[in-house]
Amino acid sequence: MKNRIPHIGLVLFVLIGILPFALAFIYALLYSFGVVGVVNTGFTFKFWLAVLQSGEFFKSLIYSALIAFVSMAASVGGALWITIQFRQNLEKKFLSFIAYLPLAIPGVVTGFFIFQLLSKSGFFARISYAFGWIREATDFPDLVNDTFALGINLAFITMVLPFFVLLFLNVFKNERLDELSILAQSLGANPRQVVQRIQLPILLKKARILIVLYFIFLLGSYEVPLILGQESPQMLSVLIIREIKQYDLDKISEGYVAAVLYTIIVSATVLFLFLPKRKNALI
Amino acid sequence: MKRYWKPFFLSFLVLLVLFPFTYMVLLSLMSGWQFPDFLPSYFGFKNWATIMTSEGGLLQSFVISVIISLSVAIVTTISGFFISRVVYYHPKSKVLNVLAYFPYILAPVVFAACLSFFFIKLGLFGNVTGVVVAQFLIAFPYALIFFSSFWNQKMKSYADLTATLGGSRLQTYTKVLLPMAKSMLLVCFFQTFLISWFEYGLTSIIGIGKVQTLTIKVFLFIKEANYYYGALSCCLLIFPPVVLLYFNKRYVFKKMV
Repeated sequence: MKNRIPHIGLVLFVLIGILPFALAFIYALLYSFGVVGVVNTGFTFKFWLAVLQSGEFFKSLIYSALIAFVSMAASVGGALWITIQFRQNLEKKFLSFIAYLPLAIPGVVTGFFIFQLLSKSGFFARISYAFGWIREATDFPDLVNDTFALGINLAFITMVLPFFVLLFLNVFKNERLDELSILAQSLGANPRQVVQRIQLPILLKKARILIVLYFIFLLGSYEVPLILGQESPQMLSVLIIREIKQYDLDKISEGYVAAVLYTIIVSATVLFLFLPKRKNALI
Repeated sequence: MKRYWKPFFLSFLVLLVLFPFTYMVLLSLMSGWQFPDFLPSYFGFKNWATIMTSEGGLLQSFVISVIISLSVAIVTTISGFFISRVVYYHPKSKVLNVLAYFPYILAPVVFAACLSFFFIKLGLFGNVTGVVVAQFLIAFPYALIFFSSFWNQKMKSYADLTATLGGSRLQTYTKVLLPMAKSMLLVCFFQTFLISWFEYGLTSIIGIGKVQTLTIKVFLFIKEANYYYGALSCCLLIFPPVVLLYFNKRYVFKKMV
């Protein structure tokens, strides 16, 4: 009787935590091979070949990875600089609350806000017109739905940077970096060495898993690129949903191929990050 | 001398943080703001007054969002707390932990697209129950991972001590574990509430536009190019989390590093 509760807990874990993911993956896999689906007739490799030959998925993957990398590099770099420069100020009551405010803004609002600021009839376009820098809306540069994903990057940075500032502030406190820095200085280290050899390595080491996780989250981001992205190439989630939800029923299977590929990439990253290792395990 | 720029830069950062909130509130008070005008033709509470009417359906969306998010947060926090204990005291806990990460890290919208077939079969497509279940599936792994730091050797020793002193399983939970986990339960509730409150992609797939939460409304208004109602929806979307964050902020990051 006593042992029944752990068993029920484990069954519930499998039912809620594992089974839906497994079912979703198996369904997508079967659909991608033409085994299930409204117009599919049986097992075939043609959808996989079509996706691999068109190269759109890989283009989208590289495009998404580049955007995620640029956003993460700028956010983590900016957050480190702000933390090291302003940590004492940011611990004051008013500023500590202000630092948390960006976390209350969801992706959909960030996307909408950036669109309002940077679009051709947006806030900055109006300012440019008022100063006489442009004569009509079309003179304003493409800052959203653009090739270089400036709008998407800016949106991601405004979402991720504040999070990492707060994270680094807490690492600073939890790891007692102030005390360590004073100790290093008393042993003869100059301020530059304190930052480069003590503060930065510890901050980055403690945050490295979250940095990789955030990179993966940005890779699969949906709302922001849906508002601020261009038609082609699109970020991964937007591409996958566009393919799966399209009216051409013959093409839906290709969307599931992309979903399977994306799931495999993400799952491989999870295994690499979190599976126990013999030496130097991350967790 | 060198540090004189710091107060100015900090003030600039504060303005930068407050700017989106101010901009959204101001935009929600406007109408007839045509390019290249710098000022709108109308500025007042006309848009806000429509919350109380059925014109925009915003009040209804707000209520639906609150119901969905509260349901997800309550169910996830309770189930996550009890199931995580089983998972993290299991001999194969590290493998189970890795398995919990798979649905957590996958883009919810892709997860929903692949699961939608099963939701149709179960009659959970296009209704509030379906959206709650779908959001629960992505919030649950978060709760499991979140509570993993709570179930350590110390907690096991407390539970063993209670049992040794004659405490029942129920008493171990009510008198020892739950009081000790109070702050974590609260943070998990807030966080899962926010996961649900901010969710768009999964809700749009499973709700198929019939379940109009606030995030769905924002997108609808953007598509209609009705930016003033869009901003109004954004205000309703961001101010409840501000209140939650105020109470929540002390605990959030302590649990993350």
